[in-house]
Amino acid sequence: MSQSATSRKFWTRRRQEGMFGYLFASPWIIGFVLFGLYPMVMSLYYSMSRYDVLRVPEFIGLQNFSTLLSHDPYFWNAVWNTVFYTVVRTPLAIAGSLFLALLVNNAIRGVRVFRTVYFLPSIVGGVVLSVLWLWIFNPQYGLLNAFLNLFGIKGLLWLQSPEWSKPSLVLMSLWSIGGGRMIVFLAALQNVPLELYEVVDLDGGGWWRKFYHVTLPMISPVLFLWFIIEVIFGFQVFTEAYVMTKGGPLNSTMFYNLYLYYKAFDDFDMGYASALAWLLLLLSLVITLVQFTVGKFWVYYESER
Amino acid sequence: MPSRNTVITFLAAAGVVLFFVFTAPTRVVPHDGKLHLRYWMITGMKEIIPYYATSFNAMQDSIVVETTPIPWQEHEKKILTAVLSGDPPDVVNQVTPVAKWASRMALVALDDYIARDRFDTSAFFSSLWGEMKWQGHVFAIPVFSGSYALFYNRELFREAGLDPDRPPRTWDEVWQYNARLVKRDAKGQIVRMGFIPNYGNLMTSMLMAWELGAKFLSDDGKTVHLDDPAMVKGLEWTVKFYEAYPREDVAAFMAGFGFADQHGFIARKVAMMVLDSGFPDQIKLYRPNLDYGVAMIPSFEGCPTASASGSWWMAIPRGAKNPEAAWQFMKHAASKQAQLREVQMTEESLFPANKLAAADPEFINSRQREIFVAQMEYSHSPSIVPMAHDVFWREFLGAQERAIYGKQSPEEALKDGERVLQGILDEALAYDNYVRGQMTFPGVK
Repeated sequence: MSQSATSRKFWTRRRQEGMFGYLFASPWIIGFVLFGLYPMVMSLYYSMSRYDVLRVPEFIGLQNFSTLLSHDPYFWNAVWNTVFYTVVRTPLAIAGSLFLALLVNNAIRGVRVFRTVYFLPSIVGGVVLSVLWLWIFNPQYGLLNAFLNLFGIKGLLWLQSPEWSKPSLVLMSLWSIGGGRMIVFLAALQNVPLELYEVVDLDGGGWWRKFYHVTLPMISPVLFLWFIIEVIFGFQVFTEAYVMTKGGPLNSTMFYNLYLYYKAFDDFDMGYASALAWLLLLLSLVITLVQFTVGKFWVYYESER
Repeated sequence: MPSRNTVITFLAAAGVVLFFVFTAPTRVVPHDGKLHLRYWMITGMKEIIPYYATSFNAMQDSIVVETTPIPWQEHEKKILTAVLSGDPPDVVNQVTPVAKWASRMALVALDDYIARDRFDTSAFFSSLWGEMKWQGHVFAIPVFSGSYALFYNRELFREAGLDPDRPPRTWDEVWQYNARLVKRDAKGQIVRMGFIPNYGNLMTSMLMAWELGAKFLSDDGKTVHLDDPAMVKGLEWTVKFYEAYPREDVAAFMAGFGFADQHGFIARKVAMMVLDSGFPDQIKLYRPNLDYGVAMIPSFEGCPTASASGSWWMAIPRGAKNPEAAWQFMKHAASKQAQLREVQMTEESLFPANKLAAADPEFINSRQREIFVAQMEYSHSPSIVPMAHDVFWREFLGAQERAIYGKQSPEEALKDGERVLQGILDEALAYDNYVRGQMTFPGVK
């Protein structure tokens, strides 16, 4: 291979290696720019426009945002519904998974079978799960009301009442507490050094002291991670409401993303929907930052000893 | 280990391959000298090539229609992205209002073709033809429609001591018949209803508003009146109904309803319902021995009956490459003969948009069909506020729900809905005003 004098000077070994590095990373870079960065930048532009996809966008500055925050009766309702769902669901889901993980962390006979059994429900998800739960919640023929009737309790109009529709969806989401989250907690629990428990034994502490003073601090980074993941996940709740309630009754399950979807794909109001999406991003960001700040007071990292 | 040259050669080759993969045309067009016309058709359950496409292919040699079925739930998004891509199909089929697409400049105007071929526009039901227009231009051709009528269960009528040959004619009679048909079990749960105002293909309150002459939009298209007195009156009837039959009880009863044999009428749980002309085929499929009758939709004493049209139309999307061939195909699909054959061949009866086909003895071969045809003459377009179509219906249904739940009076609820709707319409008009300076309607000179 013959190289000219100038190119020899330019292509130093360092530059060459750098170029190869970028070259090998280029599939990701190209993918990110085309399918990640570009759509995000465009949606930021559309969020400041009137835009219905089929016609040219009209730049209107921050008008979409001011309409959303001050004139849209559905916006705050959607925020409230979503926050309610997230705030009620997240602790329950995490506590449930932790409880199951503690149960199947014991060295009892057949524990593998139990782990599998608890994991099984989480295999079913999305639309199928929603349709299944429509029947569980059915006021006249549903399993839930039939169960309550056994104790002489008059069943509820689960999804058909504005008071119970959100709690019903929270209840339904607990279906998968034995899923991936339980497995991760289980792995975290098995990483807790046994000698720490022995120390508590020596000091005469019971199971509660072990749990509170050893288990919780040792797995707190994992708990913290899941709190962040589940809050973000909660903000994105969509499928259940889209399939089961269409946002009703009385907009009680009109969640943020469902409202965004209707705006974008029924009304073709893509500018407004983009504004909604950016506000959701900001909201998620703020809450995650708050979580990180608060996390400093309760999350314990071994490496910081 | 491969040398650096080999690696570079390999990467370069991979780059070239990727380049062609992304840029090469994805469609392989056969070189048979014919024009291959791409047609996207909405399909329900079965992916079948419609008769009007096969017959069009058979009757001439220069154009081949290639039908691509698109799923019902996805059709709007599919067409949205196809138009945006600049390479849409030549003909699309849609069921959402023409104006929703035409007002957004997504369809090609057909005025020139219609004038050139002296296309007979009076052959179609007038409410359907009206839906094809936006601002005086025609943007689509109606092919099929839904027509609606009152279905009633003769067996349940007999059980309740009603005359099975005397269906209700007025809303007062519907009320009285319902009172006799409602049945509760020992625990007080509803197990049968005569009629439910918001269950069925059309909302009772809206039917009432139409027959009382509601006018929802001002003539200049700029001001909405969701709280038109006729609408208020229609909604009051529904609210009164739920005062007599508590909403919670009816909701619990209705929660088990679904499609097929879980449908309230097919399951013999609701005795009277407003349903569409395709429904007899559902009954045939899921409960062939159901003893039912079809009658005109009831109305208030002295008012004409009212119904809705639901058009199933074809159009040329903006950017399509073969408008002339597309027009020829659409003309054929809308013709009397093609529609008659199509109606006979499909499993779930379509209702022809062409009046000549609907009036043909081959189509009108039963009392049922006569009623569906008669009902079409009283149909109203569901495209009421075309520039805010989905918002109109969402606000109307939201207001109805608030009134039924007793959160607001019908009038207050409709007023609140109207405020939201007017805001959205103002936005749409402002945007339209801006776009007019940037773009033009395709096919309009």
